[in-house]
Amino acid sequence: MSPTSGQPSRASSGASPDDDVAAHDHEVISRGTTRRRYVQRGVIVLILIVAALALAYMRSGSAVVVTQAVVTGILTGGVYGLVAMGLTLIFGVLDIVNFAHGAFLALALFVTFWLVNTVGIHPYVALAITIPVMFGIGFMVQRGVLARAIGKPLENQLLITLGISLVIENTLLLFFGGDPRSVALHGDHALHVFGAVADLSRVLAFAGALLLAGVLYLLLQRTRLGTAIRAVATNDMGAQLVGIDTRLIYALTFAIGTACAGAAGTLVAPLVTIEPTSGDMFNIIAFVVVVLGGMGNVIGALVGGLIIGVTEQLSGLYLPGQSPLLLVFIVFVLVLFLRPQGLFGRTS
Amino acid sequence: MRKSWLVVLACAVPMALTGCGGSAPTGATGGASSVKAGGTIKIGSLHPLSGSSAADGQQMDNGAKLAVEAINKAGGIKSLKGSKLELLSGDTQGKPEIGQSEAQRLIQAGAVALVGTYQSAVTANVSSVAERNKVPLVIDISAADSILKQGYKYTFRVQPSSTVLGTQGAQYLSDVTKAAGKPAKKVAILHEQGPFGSGIRDAFEAKAKSLGIAIGPVISYDAASVSDLTTQITAVKASGADVLMVAGYYADGVLVAKAVKTVQPSLTAVMGVADGAFDQPQFPKDAGKAGEGYFDANYHADMTKPAMQELAKLYLARYHDQIRTGAVLAYDSVRVIADALERAGDSAPTKVRDAIAKVSLESLIAQKGPITFGDTGENMNATPILMQVQGGVVKQVFPADKAESKPIFPANPGR
Repeated sequence: MSPTSGQPSRASSGASPDDDVAAHDHEVISRGTTRRRYVQRGVIVLILIVAALALAYMRSGSAVVVTQAVVTGILTGGVYGLVAMGLTLIFGVLDIVNFAHGAFLALALFVTFWLVNTVGIHPYVALAITIPVMFGIGFMVQRGVLARAIGKPLENQLLITLGISLVIENTLLLFFGGDPRSVALHGDHALHVFGAVADLSRVLAFAGALLLAGVLYLLLQRTRLGTAIRAVATNDMGAQLVGIDTRLIYALTFAIGTACAGAAGTLVAPLVTIEPTSGDMFNIIAFVVVVLGGMGNVIGALVGGLIIGVTEQLSGLYLPGQSPLLLVFIVFVLVLFLRPQGLFGRTS
Repeated sequence: MRKSWLVVLACAVPMALTGCGGSAPTGATGGASSVKAGGTIKIGSLHPLSGSSAADGQQMDNGAKLAVEAINKAGGIKSLKGSKLELLSGDTQGKPEIGQSEAQRLIQAGAVALVGTYQSAVTANVSSVAERNKVPLVIDISAADSILKQGYKYTFRVQPSSTVLGTQGAQYLSDVTKAAGKPAKKVAILHEQGPFGSGIRDAFEAKAKSLGIAIGPVISYDAASVSDLTTQITAVKASGADVLMVAGYYADGVLVAKAVKTVQPSLTAVMGVADGAFDQPQFPKDAGKAGEGYFDANYHADMTKPAMQELAKLYLARYHDQIRTGAVLAYDSVRVIADALERAGDSAPTKVRDAIAKVSLESLIAQKGPITFGDTGENMNATPILMQVQGGVVKQVFPADKAESKPIFPANPGR
């Protein structure tokens, strides 16, 4: 949480050395001021967390229930972040609101289902196949369909991704039918944490989310490809002038984003019921997470996911009998009111 | 120029009028004589064939198709010179506005009656279209009480209303637990937040309280976005309730079973009321051992009837899938319409409506008696029965005259 990355000029855009694919900030603030702001923000966040937990305890009257809500919230939040990462990457670089992301996730779920039940491999080994397969599909979709819409009005791309999602969902419906399916994970059992319980499969999905966020962060910050992607996100024309093949970068970024949906699909396969419309369940939340975390920010997506996950669970304790999404959207609107660019978003 | 326009108009207007006359409900222009021998009578089937409820919608459409096939094979509608039935299928996609326009399309294509539609919100819209066009609608599935509270004359419902489901569910719970010598004391309720879940909750709560059963906590969730119910089940565990009542759909029902297995609350039973998961043939497979012992009080195909066993076999052979109660309800709904056509001796929708109102037909669903409709259009003999997952198979367990095996209580779910 301290600005050790040697980029103090970026610090004002968020609470961590952010990996914002398009990070560039014109303000230069001295280290002392920055540190004081971090401490201030840290204290405010801490007070908010304590108040939220105290209220949850008062409403539910049971420490175990509150612990469970927080543990479940963090674990499901990790999954939300996992799904949102690919979406936010695509948004940050290609400026595409990708409505097909949920459908890609559903496709990955079915690929996993097929690999586990027909080929007979372990659900987590399936990652080695779903990630490259979804990468390839993403690359082809971008090159074959979306590349033609670049530079055209935004609604063209919107409608194309919406169309792709309809095609994927209904193709799955045609070949697999609408019956719900499931992937069984042998040896899945409950783990106990501070009196709360969590399935091993959920903990592994959470670990997978952290790992993926780390890999994406390193890819964007420490590799030539990552540098090129950030350059294209920041200034398309400038990147072209220094000799970056922007068309290739667009296709690769979309492919990486789709591969993220693939990884997410395989990791959540043991947790959910698999149907052609399973992706829809995550789609709305993923969009909220992307905007909350700051569009185009991978770490922001993870943190946004955690906030939404915990809020959703605590909401059930505060307002029993109301939709858990009520509080989620209240928090969402509040955050946007205070930070219109999202928690980790760049100021523009 | 102007004159020739007038001539064209003069010719076109009467032609258009007669054209309209042709596509209007046959009742408007003629009676029994309008059906030729060997002609077909069209029935509209409106279900979600795509979208999130596609699996159930397709089952129901298949059920309607099998009913039409069976009736045609038996000689069609005899009082109408052996006219055959023809099924027109429409896809509502589970969306009210699509359901509405599809209903309009099927009526324009000549449907004399409609069956459908699964989702209460869609059915509400379709029933208003049916009323406006004076074409009868026989609801196979849609629980919301409000649909038949509009005072509509053309809408009938075969499945039990949410009031009947919730009330009977509480009664069964009381009966079964008392018979086992361990009467339920405190019931926690977990329900999806839509009109279906909250309707069941209200009816169940009222009846349970009158039977001396305490209720609490009452927890709701959003079925469209929920991906984990561990916290909710932990709250149930902390409350000390001895029975958990659940009213939800399929995917969330599987999540309930997984969460109960993980959290291990000390429940004697988990009981669904009209739950979309616990009495489905594939539930024991998806939930695995976690689903063993789960109860569901729901409308259900009566597997003790030979005709029902025949239909189940036929369905399996034709569609390579186990028949669900939704398909049987659609099957019965088409039979209701065919029976009405037979007795009316007339395919005019208004006449069919009057005949449906006086129907009395043996059902393949477990009921208190034949299908008969009351003044509001509710099926007077509709009732849920109690089922339980036993040894990985869903069995009918209560009341005794519909039971395939005895209820196992305490069921100790998840342990």
